[in-house]
Amino acid sequence: MTDAQLGTAGPAQIPFQPEGERPARPEALLVATNLVKSYGPVHAVQGVSFQCNKGEVLALVGENGAGKSTVAKMLAGAVAPTSGSIAVNGEPLISGSVKKSRQSGVRCAFQELALVADWTVAENLSLPDGAPHHRFSQKKSVAAAAELLGTLDLPHIDPRATVGSLSLADRQLVEIARALAGGPELLILDEASSALTPPGVAWLFQRIRELTAEGGSVIYVSHRLGEIAEIADRGAVLRDGKVAGEFVRGGWTDDELVSLMAGREAARFFPDPPPRITDDVALSVSNLKSDGVHGIGLSIGAGEILGVGGLQGHGQAELLRALFGAAPATADSWTIAGRTISGTTPVRSVRYGVGYVPEDRKKEGLALEMSVGENLLVPWFKAYQLGGRPLLSRERGWISGILDALSVRTRGPKEAAGSLSGGNQQKLVFGRWMDRSRTVILLHDPTRGIDVRAKQELYAAIVDLAKQGVGVLWFSTEVEELVHVCHRVVVLYQGAVIDELEGERLTGDAVVGAAMGLRAAA
Amino acid sequence: MSVLASSSASAPAPTRLRSGGGMVRLRREGAIAPVSAFIVFLLVYVIINPELLTRFQLQTAANLVVPLALVALGQLIVVLVGGIDISIGAIMSLCNVVFATQLEAVPPPVAILLSLGVGLGCGLFNGLLVAYGGLPAIAVTLASAFIFGSLASEVLDRPGGGLTKEIYLATSGELVPFLPVSLVYLAIVAVLLWLLLQRTALGRHIYGVGSNMESVRAAGLNARLTKLIAFGLAGMVTSVGAMMLAASTVTGDPRSGDAYLLSSIAAVALAGAAFTGGRGSIIGTVLAACTLGLIGNLLFFAGINSYWQYVISALIIFTVVGLPVIWSKIAFAVKGARA
Repeated sequence: MTDAQLGTAGPAQIPFQPEGERPARPEALLVATNLVKSYGPVHAVQGVSFQCNKGEVLALVGENGAGKSTVAKMLAGAVAPTSGSIAVNGEPLISGSVKKSRQSGVRCAFQELALVADWTVAENLSLPDGAPHHRFSQKKSVAAAAELLGTLDLPHIDPRATVGSLSLADRQLVEIARALAGGPELLILDEASSALTPPGVAWLFQRIRELTAEGGSVIYVSHRLGEIAEIADRGAVLRDGKVAGEFVRGGWTDDELVSLMAGREAARFFPDPPPRITDDVALSVSNLKSDGVHGIGLSIGAGEILGVGGLQGHGQAELLRALFGAAPATADSWTIAGRTISGTTPVRSVRYGVGYVPEDRKKEGLALEMSVGENLLVPWFKAYQLGGRPLLSRERGWISGILDALSVRTRGPKEAAGSLSGGNQQKLVFGRWMDRSRTVILLHDPTRGIDVRAKQELYAAIVDLAKQGVGVLWFSTEVEELVHVCHRVVVLYQGAVIDELEGERLTGDAVVGAAMGLRAAA
Repeated sequence: MSVLASSSASAPAPTRLRSGGGMVRLRREGAIAPVSAFIVFLLVYVIINPELLTRFQLQTAANLVVPLALVALGQLIVVLVGGIDISIGAIMSLCNVVFATQLEAVPPPVAILLSLGVGLGCGLFNGLLVAYGGLPAIAVTLASAFIFGSLASEVLDRPGGGLTKEIYLATSGELVPFLPVSLVYLAIVAVLLWLLLQRTALGRHIYGVGSNMESVRAAGLNARLTKLIAFGLAGMVTSVGAMMLAASTVTGDPRSGDAYLLSSIAAVALAGAAFTGGRGSIIGTVLAACTLGLIGNLLFFAGINSYWQYVISALIIFTVVGLPVIWSKIAFAVKGARA
């Protein structure tokens, strides 16, 4: 039936159409009709229909678990819909094959990065399009990759570097570059900006505008409402696997959208940091050196929320890892809760009262096959105590307290952690340190890629921790979080503190400016 | 504007990008340590036993290490896609006896093809269950090892077969003085494999599947087929090793492959390959197999009890695998002290 509606659509399956042949009136490029995807008894997507016109940016927004990623994966061919149809240029898309989707001009940059870590950037960029029996030349692929990265204005990425050695932000840029290569008709960006810094996002928007100017379309999946306001022409809000509403550019406010996503009146707000009651120092370190950290000194007061800003790859991840003892480090002086230490390891850090929420919840944070309860208890396992069921029932009070406090949506402590949505997984990594008399908590961008409601629950939990007198060191890629929720912000640049912002000087512009290496005149 | 950026970026790029590719690749694939270890080992060997460089000893040593090197290459391919092949010894025995018995019935080229076919079939059997059945490689190959081993005993229940002196000379003699022909065969197989792994898209897919299966699938590649091909290829390479062994010992033996299972895994470990897949090098594996294969000889010439062979092998593996780890710790400490 969609074929009848779109009978006039241009020649199909030709990704590269010369400019100027397109009709001026909006024409549907992609029509998704009544998409349904069920995983056993779980209905991830139940009857989603929308269309994306040529030359427009369509935003898909919704909370985690609302079905955005599943929809994006169905469009990209990574997941076959249970029922429903997708048509590109009037031709039905052969579902369930990424290769076929790519050939139809539909390309996707995935949220969970789809790059091979042991391949070089050049290999990642060139291999997906070659047939297996084709000749492969390192030299040629490197040259082609260098040219592609050059045209896409990403000269700082070395095509010979293995992807595993790049920062998360650079990996995301490579992922986007791969989707852009070959001029897609429809580009799907599934949370593709989640690790990007403001200049990275500006770069992405520039590429999107170039693509749409040539008649390509973009489906933009994101949690960041500011980005959607800037780039999206139209949008659809998903909630519980259904389309809850649609919006057009300029016709919405943050609060409206958030309540549409949450299905209730909810305001987007940042809590204020709680007032400081003591001047006690929770953690102090001077001249901390580690791989990528070149002499950082800082001190976190008890009950203080100290933000860490800066562009990705300027030593934030390394700083947190060094402070937790996950990477070897040395310092001139180092105290935790007044106790002088010469160095630390993760085991000792937990004993000293330090908690750590790492960067990658799936790789470093959770044992996905193990249960929710066991994942919460991970730092508190002792070799000589009971495990499994007896331990879970003994700790039931604490576990259910944490699950309630963070409103973790789970079927109970025995559910496998891997079956939770991203935001709820992040809550587990965070929750294991709550109510455990911590001195300092180190947070590595805990709100990356999680939905608005989960974010606000995490903000509340972080503020609660500070109220209890815990020092919080919080690295965030979202400047707004740093400005609103932190007492103080240190901005890192090339592995050192370039500026410390507090009170009047703590503004979004100042944080971004310092991150670019500009030190504001005092 | 973007045009400007591209021309300015690509102009200096080629010169900057060309330097030092091979060395970087060797290091990334973990081959520096096994290559260095082999050089040191060879020096020690020649100092203890200068007779190695005589025609007879070169030929003996080559015939000793070539089957192991070939089987280790087969094991490497399976390890590269993130698997492990416990049945590799049994595949070797089966191909060995098929080759030996068929020589009595059919002309040698047909016997070679039959043996290769059996190796391919065994590999595909494992590969189908692993790639398309989704079963763990270690369980599948452990079980199939029993099947292949029984089949080998069924084909030929005691050492024998129709191997002749001509076949010995063709595979294990000398091509020209001081150049054992078995080394030539090994070199041909190794170079072909290297070309396949480094210079075809399929080869890079094999590395990619082992590195991150999900990513490869999300990029639109056929990860399962790649795995299946890798298993099949490994079976064929193993079959070549089995034929070389049969020819150099001038006998078919249904238990001949047993000793090669652990040695092949040891050689791959010594080569610095990652058993999670995605990392490992051809040259490293060949030289690691040569090192392990010659330890027994070295001890004999050094007058040490050959029971120590396994202890020495273990020490070499510990050293070669451990050195890079210790080295990175030292490098970090030195960097810290200097800063």
